[in-house]
Amino acid sequence: MIEVMAAGLHTSIQDLGRYGYRNLGVPVSGTMDQAAAFRANKLVGNPSDCAVIEFTASGPILSFEIDAVVAISGALFTPKVEGVSQKLNIPFRVKSGQVLSFDTPSAGIRGYLAVQGGIQTQEYLGSRSSYEGITPFGRLKKGMRLPIRALFDASVVSISSEVIRSNFDSMEVEVTKGPEYEALSESVRSMLVSGDYKVGVQSNRMAYVLEHAIEISAKEIITGPVQPGTVQLTPSGQLMVLMRDAQTTGGYARIFQLSERAINKLSQKRSGMAVRFQLVDFQNNDK
Amino acid sequence: MKVLPDIRMFGPQALLLEWPAEIKLSTHERVMRCAIAIETKFVNQILEVVPTYHSLAIYLKAQEDLTTFIEKLKLVLNNGSEEISKHPQIITVPVCYHSKFALDLEEISTSLQISIPEIIELHTKPLYKVYFLGFLPGFPYLGRLDPRLNIPRRRAPRPWVEQGSVAIGGKQTGLYSMDSPGGWNIIGKTPLRLFDPNKSNPTQINAGDLVKFEPITRTEFDLIRVEVESETFRWRKEAVDD
Repeated sequence: MIEVMAAGLHTSIQDLGRYGYRNLGVPVSGTMDQAAAFRANKLVGNPSDCAVIEFTASGPILSFEIDAVVAISGALFTPKVEGVSQKLNIPFRVKSGQVLSFDTPSAGIRGYLAVQGGIQTQEYLGSRSSYEGITPFGRLKKGMRLPIRALFDASVVSISSEVIRSNFDSMEVEVTKGPEYEALSESVRSMLVSGDYKVGVQSNRMAYVLEHAIEISAKEIITGPVQPGTVQLTPSGQLMVLMRDAQTTGGYARIFQLSERAINKLSQKRSGMAVRFQLVDFQNNDK
Repeated sequence: MKVLPDIRMFGPQALLLEWPAEIKLSTHERVMRCAIAIETKFVNQILEVVPTYHSLAIYLKAQEDLTTFIEKLKLVLNNGSEEISKHPQIITVPVCYHSKFALDLEEISTSLQISIPEIIELHTKPLYKVYFLGFLPGFPYLGRLDPRLNIPRRRAPRPWVEQGSVAIGGKQTGLYSMDSPGGWNIIGKTPLRLFDPNKSNPTQINAGDLVKFEPITRTEFDLIRVEVESETFRWRKEAVDD
């Protein structure tokens, strides 16, 4: 077991997400930055569908009740075991009785902790991803105990830990045209692509709000499907990028669609950071 | 006559099929038939499909090539998938319209100039089509509401609407399947559990079904609630003869 001594700002269990239930209105969920979670799992020898702990802006304090091998990836947090700094993107051991904590990140906002064997909380509808109303808790709370497997002899990978800092700093987010893009006027389209946006404070796992000062708007549509990465434009000009916990249907114009890579990148941005859309063709777009 | 949908790219790994933009039973029927055909013919290629009023999203597995899939999809669409259809069922949903639950009923009665018993009658009379589930896990979008009950959503959404609340907004009526913020007008509450994440089929009411509301008293509400909580409640469903 791992005991949660302090939960941090928004800490949850996430895996690849919940598929096969979107027609019932069930959000996909899953790790916001899938590339970072994939890396953390790989470092401890886990398959990519193992559940990890996702934490945001301030990390949790975790007490390990059994020996474990862990790896941390994503935002540039400084992990500490009993107060001693550890490296990111390299697997290390936490012994029974030791406490793992985190200093605030120097870049990025979401960190991923993979434990060899994966976090073993109960699956609901085929996934361990936290979602209020589906899993018993939407986020971790102080005092919760998370089951993990006893150590086994898996090969631990030491991939070269190239942390690409520019990924956190670059403001370009690649998008393809959404279903309602062509219905926008020529002037709105050109403003959208040349516009500067700032991540709004209300941004969370459901949606990122992009603040701007340009005159854009779009008519409502008859409610239709939306997915993570869908960019919605409202009649009042609000711009929202739907993220992993997004609803499955929506009534606002869907003007762009982010690639998987772009969702990962955006999910590392904190409020106030600059964002720009980079419109690409499907052909050039290798997910 | 066959109406073929437009096929649009919806990001790198999804397609959107669109029929004429309207909320109509005949259009929705096409969407549902197409959804079933795609689920049957492309089990290995798709993650899932999401049908709505006049459009359908197809989410493909990561390894699937979009261009190749479109070619195969066109063949299926042209060869007519129209004969496949699921048999809908009529599901009876008990609703208590007591003022304890019906937070907006009095206000609606005043603004529409229709008495509360009349509103209840207008709301329980129709057989509603479940167009799709969305907004929340298990939240059914039901149409069509009697035009006399059309009322805009509340200007300021409530931060907290209780699970089971029965609501109207615009031309639609719906059921809050979970506690959630919400802007629809609340006119009653059902004691039924609309979404159960512990079951592999978490919903009883699904797209394409028909829903009939049945008014119940507060005592009946409490009695059904007990049955629901002790898992002895049996949903009332009957097949539709066509």
